[in-house]
Amino acid sequence: MRTTTIRLVRIALLLLSGAVAVAAQQAAPPPLITLQEISEGLPADGSRWLTFGGNYSNQRHSPLTQITPDNVNRLVPQWTFQTGTLGNFETTSLLRDNVLYVTGPQNVAWALDARTGRQIWRYRRELPPNLTACCGLVNRGFGVLGDKLFMVTLDAHLLALDMKTGAIAWDVTMQEYTNGYASTIAPLVVKDKVIVGVAGGEFGIRGFIDAYDAQTGKRAWRFYTIPGPGEPGHNTWAGDSWKIGGVGVWVTGAYDPEQNLVFYGTGNPGPDYHSASREGDNLYSTSLVALDADTGKIRWHYQFTPHDLHDWDATEVPVLGEITVAGQPRKVVMFANRNGFYYTLDRTTGKLIVAKPFVTTTWAKEVDFATGRPILLPGHEPDEKGEVTCPDITGGTNFWPPTFDPSTRTFFVNAREVCMTFYAWKPDYKAGDRFTGGAGQRVSSAESPAYGALRAIDPATGERKWEFRYLTPSTAGLLTTASGLIFSGDAEGNLLALNSRDGKLLWRYQMGAAMHGTSPTTYMLDGRQHVLVPAGTTLTAWALPQ
Amino acid sequence: MTWTRSVLTIAMLWVVGGVLFAAQEPQAKNPVEGNPDAVQAGMGLFRGRCAECHGMDARGVRGPDITQVWASGRTDAGLFKTVKEGVPGTEMPANPRVLDYEAWQILAYLRTLAAPAPTDPPRGDARNGERIFRVNCASCHRVNNAGGHLGPDLSRVGAARSREIMQLRIRRGLEEFRAGFEPVTLTPQTGQPIRGVKKNEDLFSVQIMDTRERIQGYEKDKMKSVQNDTKSAMPIFGPDRLSDSDLDDLLRYLQTLRGFDPAVVQ
Repeated sequence: MRTTTIRLVRIALLLLSGAVAVAAQQAAPPPLITLQEISEGLPADGSRWLTFGGNYSNQRHSPLTQITPDNVNRLVPQWTFQTGTLGNFETTSLLRDNVLYVTGPQNVAWALDARTGRQIWRYRRELPPNLTACCGLVNRGFGVLGDKLFMVTLDAHLLALDMKTGAIAWDVTMQEYTNGYASTIAPLVVKDKVIVGVAGGEFGIRGFIDAYDAQTGKRAWRFYTIPGPGEPGHNTWAGDSWKIGGVGVWVTGAYDPEQNLVFYGTGNPGPDYHSASREGDNLYSTSLVALDADTGKIRWHYQFTPHDLHDWDATEVPVLGEITVAGQPRKVVMFANRNGFYYTLDRTTGKLIVAKPFVTTTWAKEVDFATGRPILLPGHEPDEKGEVTCPDITGGTNFWPPTFDPSTRTFFVNAREVCMTFYAWKPDYKAGDRFTGGAGQRVSSAESPAYGALRAIDPATGERKWEFRYLTPSTAGLLTTASGLIFSGDAEGNLLALNSRDGKLLWRYQMGAAMHGTSPTTYMLDGRQHVLVPAGTTLTAWALPQ
Repeated sequence: MTWTRSVLTIAMLWVVGGVLFAAQEPQAKNPVEGNPDAVQAGMGLFRGRCAECHGMDARGVRGPDITQVWASGRTDAGLFKTVKEGVPGTEMPANPRVLDYEAWQILAYLRTLAAPAPTDPPRGDARNGERIFRVNCASCHRVNNAGGHLGPDLSRVGAARSREIMQLRIRRGLEEFRAGFEPVTLTPQTGQPIRGVKKNEDLFSVQIMDTRERIQGYEKDKMKSVQNDTKSAMPIFGPDRLSDSDLDDLLRYLQTLRGFDPAVVQ
């Protein structure tokens, strides 16, 4: 009896020491994700990608140089991951410690082994059957801090998931989805807060940007994109139109730590096309707003399209950079707008530096630098008979990310050349229902052929450096690298690599689906640079042969 | 006891089912026809949800002309069903999210665009029209699984296009090409040019059906040229090629082609 006990204790001790020895041989897991890591952006060693835009400036410009203009044509696929769901990727995957964190359509998300594309865990949200989410059941990616991933949902919740398992750490309701609210944005983590916005500009919402405590999910602040009674700008909405004036926020902003400001582009006013339903400038629709990251208080705003009537959300990606304008170094925010103009603004004051069309633009002659307002051309107010305007509803560009190469001070954007007949009529508002007051029809290709182009723009002047033309308009986002490459895609499903200095096509591959609203990302894995491409329902990793 | 209960349950289910079924049966007549508010709302719904395929004027783009549907004998109840349930085997989708009253509003608006039923007696002899079709059209156009593939299938053209539009297309040719039927000429480095219609294209390649109905893809950089043609492969049938009376016969025949849509036959 006693001997048995001793033997058991011995065995237990042996087992224990074995376990300790095994643990000692294994690499310790990396520490929790810190703000330091996040604010460093894309590191030179390529070991991580932790925010929507790569860094807080949203530049999507990688320092990696293993893949070059000379060898890019040797890229070979490493693996392909398929979602197994309906709907397409619009996500930016995050990478840390050789694991990818990926959100997909229908609020499914995964942790994937970046070496093989194999799933580690999968999260799937049961969505209510009566969702109104306007424009695709999509999601644009995770935010991350500590041991948590943050993800918005189509029924307007914000979730924190455990990075190791995908289990829910907390779940907060941002707004009632039954009233037309949804959310698709990739959260932005600033200090201890998770910053998000809501979609629903076509459903009579009152939009906002929210910040939540990353630990607890408690709401820290809310900025309504439509000012309430007594607030400055409230009088830019006639009558009660402010209550249902839309102005969603569904594309991730940029952050300037020096000023502690976040910059977000805001959505269209609603109803989208019917002028008389909401007389006034409709602040802060179709604007860039600069908010204090701690309080959500507005520091400055610039409205691109006062009283927009063409659904030109300013939910494009704001990109921060340092450039020289007229011999002076300037801290700027660069913005290619759906309304057809490219803008460079001083990001400390919100003052206009450059405003110049980057596509055919028929509704405004130019932007008046004294007032900052576009000088409108007549005949571009939609009515029941219809009026033709360029660009179309989808716009000169849209939510697909541009890039900025700081070494050549070049801004790159996928531009669209399309015109449309816009119609408007008086709509009735019903809570949770579509509320647009109009529609558009593409001008026939015989009258005005539609096409797209990748354009390289000098942000100091708005002048075009070069363009690469597509057969039809592309909705792909971009990635540039320090080796002088730019990755893009066309609407026909080709993944394209071009020389970022001159726009020369270097390599292509037919993916079978277009990158829509997504960009490739790049990182190092076991000493090899990888390019990750989300297209349709697949995610494919590329690298040079070993 | 159990048996009795089962019978009762079945009877109850039958009654409930009957009530449900009755509740889902569309009304025979549009309850909001002519109501100005309904027409206004219906216009919005139509333009937002239907016009991409049917055109802002409802005269048809990719989808059929629907200004003719009442004149061709369709009923309110049948059209209501089409709006809600779609047309199987075509691009017309089911619209489960369109509420009943919205469907009626859409139809109230369409009614204001509806062309009157022709007062002239229908002209032409469909049987002769069919013969004319076989000789002149069937080498390119297919009807009910017979005919060529180079042009669009016309099995339901009578439901989709007005007589007037069909006449224009036959007499004057096409102004715009339908996707999948744009004429193209490829000139290889050596050999004869290849004519056909474009099935797909990207920056680097083009996929066609050539005039001998061979489907094939070509890489653009291996071609001397890839030319989008401005003239359709569909010939113009002027009065010299097709007399007015033969045209009447042909149109009469085409009007009988209503395809496989079971909702149409009401």
